[in-house]
Amino acid sequence: MKILRKSFFRLLFILPLLGLATLANAQSDPTGESAATRTYAITNATIIQAPGKMMEEGTIVITDGLITAVGKNVSIPNNAEVIDGTDMFVYPGFIDGMANTGADRPENLERPDNLFTPDPPNDYAGITPEHHVVQQIKTNENSIGAMRKVGFTVSHTVPYGRMLPGSGALILLRDVDHPDKMILSEDVSMFTQFVGAPGAYPGNTLGIMAKFRDLYRNAAYSKQHSELYASNPAGIERPTRDRVSEAFYPVVAKKKPIFYDASNSLEARRAMRLQNELGFSLVLGNLQEGWDLADEIKESGAKVFMSLDLPKEPKDSKDEDKSEETKNLEERRMEFYKKYVAQYSELKSAGIKFGFSTIDTRGSDVKDNLLTIIENGLSEDDALAALTTNAADLLGISSITGTLDEGKLGNVMVTNAPYFEKDSQIKFVFVDGDKHEYEIKEKKKKSENTSETTTEGTSSIVGTWNYSFSTPQGEQTGTMVIKKDGDFFTGVLTSDDGTPDNDMLNISFVDGALDFEFSIDAGGQSIDVVVNGTVTGNEYEAEASVPAFNVSFPLLATKEVPEK
Amino acid sequence: MKNSMIHKLFTLLILALFASSANAQVKKGSVLIKNGTVLTITNGTLENTDVLVKDGKIDRIGKNLKAPKGAEEVDATGLFVMPGIIDAHSHIAGTSINEGTSQVTSEVSMEDVVDPLDVSIYRALAGGVTSIHLMHGSANVIGGQNETLKLRWGTTNPDDLRFEGAPRTIKFALGENPTRGGRSRGIQPQSRMGVEAMLRNTFNDALKYRDAWNKYRADKSSRKVAPEYSLRLETMVDILEGEVLVHCHSYRADEIYMLMKVFADFGIERLTFQHANEAYKVAPELAEFGASASVFADWWAYKLEVYYSTAYNAAILTKNGVNTSINSDSGELIRHLFHEAAKTQKYGDLSDNEALALITLNPAKQLGINDRVGSIEKGKDADIAIFDKHPLSIYAVPQMTFVDGVKYFDINNDAADQRIYIDPESTIQDVQIFDAHDHHLCMEGANVVNFYDLLNKQ
Repeated sequence: MKILRKSFFRLLFILPLLGLATLANAQSDPTGESAATRTYAITNATIIQAPGKMMEEGTIVITDGLITAVGKNVSIPNNAEVIDGTDMFVYPGFIDGMANTGADRPENLERPDNLFTPDPPNDYAGITPEHHVVQQIKTNENSIGAMRKVGFTVSHTVPYGRMLPGSGALILLRDVDHPDKMILSEDVSMFTQFVGAPGAYPGNTLGIMAKFRDLYRNAAYSKQHSELYASNPAGIERPTRDRVSEAFYPVVAKKKPIFYDASNSLEARRAMRLQNELGFSLVLGNLQEGWDLADEIKESGAKVFMSLDLPKEPKDSKDEDKSEETKNLEERRMEFYKKYVAQYSELKSAGIKFGFSTIDTRGSDVKDNLLTIIENGLSEDDALAALTTNAADLLGISSITGTLDEGKLGNVMVTNAPYFEKDSQIKFVFVDGDKHEYEIKEKKKKSENTSETTTEGTSSIVGTWNYSFSTPQGEQTGTMVIKKDGDFFTGVLTSDDGTPDNDMLNISFVDGALDFEFSIDAGGQSIDVVVNGTVTGNEYEAEASVPAFNVSFPLLATKEVPEK
Repeated sequence: MKNSMIHKLFTLLILALFASSANAQVKKGSVLIKNGTVLTITNGTLENTDVLVKDGKIDRIGKNLKAPKGAEEVDATGLFVMPGIIDAHSHIAGTSINEGTSQVTSEVSMEDVVDPLDVSIYRALAGGVTSIHLMHGSANVIGGQNETLKLRWGTTNPDDLRFEGAPRTIKFALGENPTRGGRSRGIQPQSRMGVEAMLRNTFNDALKYRDAWNKYRADKSSRKVAPEYSLRLETMVDILEGEVLVHCHSYRADEIYMLMKVFADFGIERLTFQHANEAYKVAPELAEFGASASVFADWWAYKLEVYYSTAYNAAILTKNGVNTSINSDSGELIRHLFHEAAKTQKYGDLSDNEALALITLNPAKQLGINDRVGSIEKGKDADIAIFDKHPLSIYAVPQMTFVDGVKYFDINNDAADQRIYIDPESTIQDVQIFDAHDHHLCMEGANVVNFYDLLNKQ
């Protein structure tokens, strides 16, 4: 009896170890990096289980990738890593409706020799709907960590390419050693966009619209033919296999939706026109100009993932002598900025349920843009719904994720203050039950006076810099004046040749790395220049690049040291 | 049985609902234009005459007419009232113009790229234009289908601009443009002979395609297999069957004559030659075929094949009985097509009516919309332009422009900023008059902008 009891206790002790060992595929981990446990309990936290459903002083338990308990009186498993959630806020992990997250952009295809431009090979034409995004996914893609860091746990990732680059997949933004371990489900959508083949058919929107109709209708006939043949081949011409047509079969059968990257209003209308003619299930992704489209969208029944990218807020000229005309132009520009930022709440009021797409959005802009959208009328609950429950519904995964309910995936975001507060920061993001921890940065206290006096050190960039900028045609010189305005830097570039000043935008100075952007005007067209460099002492060494033209030039600057 | 009847009825109802909502309802206006000099085109000039418009249609033309309740009254005393100008060759209001990658692209259509936000539409209205023929470019032998539009400025929906019920049309191109593309790509056609061969080959393919599909449709078997579908050849078949009118970019008399022979061989009747700078050399042949010509007033010598022309072209064609129009092919010329028409009085002594028909009724015929527009007649669409002087006077300035009885331009109520959508990230700068010499390169190479030029733009 004694012996039996002893062995029973031993067994109790060994069992969890066995469990762990099997989880880790019975491999030892010489790096010591793997988690000691996959059971976590966040206690005494404010838990937002779903938009509008909040629980205070609650506990949530995540075990082996799933949420196993949420509530006030929850027993905490012995093997759990307990996180004291006092003053913390727990949300469902965000879901991205359409993005390239995790996908590695392939090299541009070389133009083949003797290309027959009216009928180029499919891969050059960009017509490869039979491809899968999984082939492009790399576990070490920066975007995975960048989007996870801002709260995203699931991404509907679509491939890079041209007109029809392939099918999309739902991936978990996990940190794993093989893409397969990220896949939630494969082949969930056919992705298409208005991107023509360079100098070959289809070259632009005209050809793309026509080619789409042609491919779709041929696929519909080919599907009939192959089904007829499959049911009874006698006397029927053998169907020739065609992978492009075959990729369309589930679309024709309405079993797979078309995700259209339709950023502007004309593109969105074109996508709905094709849907109206051909009858497939349509999802408008990356929609940036939807304020005039509510009726059309409702009529079409298309699903919508709005872009999380916003235009920069226009800055009116500070010139007091500006003309009436300039004032009017500024007013109308602001009116349109408001349309961009207010459309989310308008579409919501019009009864359109949408999620978000980050395909054109930088991770670092996500929070700011959400706050701008909320400032302009969308409620916090509706914003959270777009990030979680709506997205899950629209993607057909609401049974496994989107809320913090028992049995759902362990996709959880934890913040140190209500997420939609400006200064809140993300402390943890759990993806598929794996913990990712982030450092909470102390807010710097305002200490302008003291920073002014320590300009001799390397810590401040405030002051006047003389820059020189080398272009193939010669050198440009001027001054760059950087000031500190509260927590932010502002700056102005003044060229020595008398061209108008340029504001330095998005100035960031972290660990000696100084980055900023500015725009130059080229005959009415605004061209963005991105400058990235490092400050060493009073020297700034940087590269200025123009992403639109894929060129970059060196920029050097020296800070003026005021003589005492 | 009963059930299925109800089901069918229900389906029909749903379809009807859809059809009506898909055809976006465009605005129709009612207006009484009083006491103007009415240039009817089809019924001479009527002095001190009223034009009553009801729900977008011309309801009555006469004296002392009364406006229905709520309709605007326009006092046109001393003003000239003419049918809205129609431009049979325009490339405004399109986000793309050429799908030039292939030499036959009959499957593409300008209806897919209509841009209702292009401010050129408003500028054209300010020149008295009410309809345009938005054409595909001339990079390929058989280019895309064109789209006939009404300039209903202010909408964001491209479908609102469609000239509902206008026949389909398509762009063909002969001569240097398509052969230049062929030579640069090393594909057919590289010569004028190649252009003709390509036309004949494509029509022959279309005939085979039509046969294959006719056979398929006639086949009663439930186990029939469809031939390959081709949107490209579908359109070619529609041309052969007269459903799509051809507008062909052309200059030289020999190639104009060539195309008439090709079309005669394939039994295609409705044909308009665009530009057609040497059309006057084959004017009797054009008249005999029944082909039309849409020409410039006095623009030529901008490349070799268009070196030989004359400002008398439109007048010679008109006097030979060829239905002729004057077009703009330009976002600038479109603003004063009435000047272009007036040039035929200097070069060729055309009558007022003949000259005005060049920019109204004649282009309407070329586009197959002359039952709806092109003249001021009872029952026609109220697409009307009002001028302060006779529109053929060099001093004439357009005052108001109506489409379907709705006023889209009024010189006395002409807001400075007409843009419909505005990029919030655009810059606002004082207007600068650029030195064309310095900036020619920069503007020309819009897709290869020189970084240095951008930074040194004083």
